[in-house]
Amino acid sequence: FLQGGSSSSSTEYIVRVPKNTSKKYSIMAFNSGDKVNCSSWTQARMERDMSNRRMYGVEETEEGAAGSEFGKKQREESRRKKFGIVTREFKVEDQPWILKVNGKAGKRFKGTKKGGITENASYYIFTQCPDGAFEAFPVNGWYNFVPQAKHRTLTAEEAEEEWGRRNKVVNHFSIMLQRRLREQERGPDDDDEEGEKGGKKKKKKGGRGGDLRIHDLEDDLELSSDESDSSGGEEGEERRDKPKKKEGDVKGKGKKKKKKRGSDSEANEDSDDGDFEGLEVDYMSDESRGHPHGNNTCSCSEEESEEEKQNEEEGKEEEEEEEGKKTPVQTKKKRDSSGESDTSEDSDIDGEAASALFMVKKRTPPKRGGGRGSGGSSRTGSRPGTPSIDSASTSNTLRAAASKLEQGKRQVVGGSSESPAAKRLKMESSSTAVTTQSPAPSGKSTPQPPSGKSTPSSSDVQLTEEAVRRYLIRKPMTTKDLLKKFQTKRTGLSSEQTVNVLAQILKRLNPERKNVNDKMHFYLTE
Amino acid sequence: MSEKGEVDLTGAKQNTGVWLVKVPKYLSQQWAKASGRGEVGKLRIGKNQGKAEVEFTLNEDLTMIDSLGDKPSGVQAPRDHPFTMQTVGGQTLAVFTETQSESSKERISLEGLVVQRAECRPAVSENYMKLKRLQIEELSKPVRLSQQLEKAVTTNYKPVANHSYNLEYDRKKKEEGKRARVDKQQVLDMLFSAFEKHQYYNIKDLVDITKQPVSYLKEILRDIGIYNVKGTHKNTWELKPEYRHYQGGEEEEKETDD
Repeated sequence: FLQGGSSSSSTEYIVRVPKNTSKKYSIMAFNSGDKVNCSSWTQARMERDMSNRRMYGVEETEEGAAGSEFGKKQREESRRKKFGIVTREFKVEDQPWILKVNGKAGKRFKGTKKGGITENASYYIFTQCPDGAFEAFPVNGWYNFVPQAKHRTLTAEEAEEEWGRRNKVVNHFSIMLQRRLREQERGPDDDDEEGEKGGKKKKKKGGRGGDLRIHDLEDDLELSSDESDSSGGEEGEERRDKPKKKEGDVKGKGKKKKKKRGSDSEANEDSDDGDFEGLEVDYMSDESRGHPHGNNTCSCSEEESEEEKQNEEEGKEEEEEEEGKKTPVQTKKKRDSSGESDTSEDSDIDGEAASALFMVKKRTPPKRGGGRGSGGSSRTGSRPGTPSIDSASTSNTLRAAASKLEQGKRQVVGGSSESPAAKRLKMESSSTAVTTQSPAPSGKSTPQPPSGKSTPSSSDVQLTEEAVRRYLIRKPMTTKDLLKKFQTKRTGLSSEQTVNVLAQILKRLNPERKNVNDKMHFYLTE
Repeated sequence: MSEKGEVDLTGAKQNTGVWLVKVPKYLSQQWAKASGRGEVGKLRIGKNQGKAEVEFTLNEDLTMIDSLGDKPSGVQAPRDHPFTMQTVGGQTLAVFTETQSESSKERISLEGLVVQRAECRPAVSENYMKLKRLQIEELSKPVRLSQQLEKAVTTNYKPVANHSYNLEYDRKKKEEGKRARVDKQQVLDMLFSAFEKHQYYNIKDLVDITKQPVSYLKEILRDIGIYNVKGTHKNTWELKPEYRHYQGGEEEEKETDD
């Protein structure tokens, strides 16, 4: 019935439902987010996805003599019947579609059948015919088409693995990169996956040597990838920060570094964020890092250290600059160097805590080169969440750091076999190995505040008023702490001299005092 | 002539627009009864004050509802069905068809895109209510029914002096007799040829194959074979390694001089 009224009009069309049509209509549904425009397709192919079909005998174990049992098939079948296992019949019309658009390079879609659309209501497609009538065709099936990823994805096991590391891994590019490399190795070698991991890095080096050497970024990614792969995001994070800054990073180098880094950085995974908070880290160092200290990591570490030196010098961290190239701090050294040397130093310090106030023990300067890996990583340990790393180190934090490093050391030992051992040897053997590093004592004994330029050697400490002032401004310190800062090895002064000089400086500065934990702390306010 | 799997894209290129309409089950059943050219009704599209109004009217001759059972249902399908129009957003819907001709050449062709979705609703009427009632009645009938019997069923199991199966068995046993030992060499031959076919055998199966008494067979097996207790092929016999020659199917029989 037509409504009366000027604004209404209607037309009638006949509706037909054609019979015996050989065409079966189905719906192809795309998510509108995929922005599929069918009219832009030049060519399309669609086939059923038969991958779910279980051919008789395909799934079965091999037949024939070896490994087969007499009557196994029957036994299996009767067993299944007994347990009531019913396998679903394979129906072709229920299988998903594979749609390929625009040829090999185009998009791929997988269309999964949506169940139950014909259960309670029927869908019809209404099309208008040239004669104006409508024709209605029943819809046979509804398929939801989703685009298929052409890029690689992780398998379930790998995904679980990465999920466990999600808090640590920051560089996500590396994940797939690692996987790709792993696969490359797996392919030609067909090795056991576990066994691979160990030798993998070495192999990778070889493998990648022949591989494309593309550009720095990849190198850097590789590096960070390895770090994050082995240890955690901290290391990786650090590496990632300096991708552009690295120059001419040779792949081989990178490879080796990876290997070492991996093992070393692993050591530091255990350290918690807060542990290094109080520690100051100085990244500037003019030390020569090419100390051939480790054995197999020898060349590695050299290259590594070179690398790292570059990195450090490029001042990737504000702290670096902040801390100043002026006075490297002992804590830095502690951490830069291998786990061992650090720990031994620390433990030595701890042991002496009870002794006289101004006693400072001799320490071998940590081998920069050697400590590269762990050093770097330990440094990064301090990175997260510590915007300003304090130069002052309270004994508490030191002790904590020491214990962590000790742990780290233990792991490092496991990881990179020889270098820790080598370092340890060096540590224990010569306390005089220092020498090259310390500049002439005379130069240091006067607490003149020079421009704060450190001497070009591993000992970057000068017992200057400037330095002390800086420490005290930053954080309240006890005399013992201050002394630790100016270790005799570094400053070249004898312990007595250090004491005297420090006393003088303190008198001049006249810092404020406060009692913390029953200990007298000095501090300055700017 | 199109290749298998090749999709005919004419519909997509022409941007043919179609409607996707959801139709109640009873209506599609009625449509299936259409005769001739398949005319089922009329569609009226009108514009009433800016809004499009679509309504479908079922042909009179299709309004008879069949019901289960013999008696006529006396229910008529409602005739008026306004369409509720909906948007297609959120999904891009395309329509494709599969044509299976006698020459078994399956052709897939893209017919067009859905531009409008609609739901066909019956106009509420007395007829519709009756129809619904009928449907509910039919659905509410239980699938299984308990029936009381007057007499007990006695035709299933009858006592038997001896089951036929048992008789068979006894007869077979007598006929075969006990298993007799044959020459060891013969047995070995049999065993080796059996192990050529499969690697692992159950002792029962071997007894079957060789028709030897179990103890005798076991003796022989202990000589040339080993018994797997653990593993995937548990409780099976296999030849000793020195007797085996499984190489990708190639086999040699190894004989021993006893």
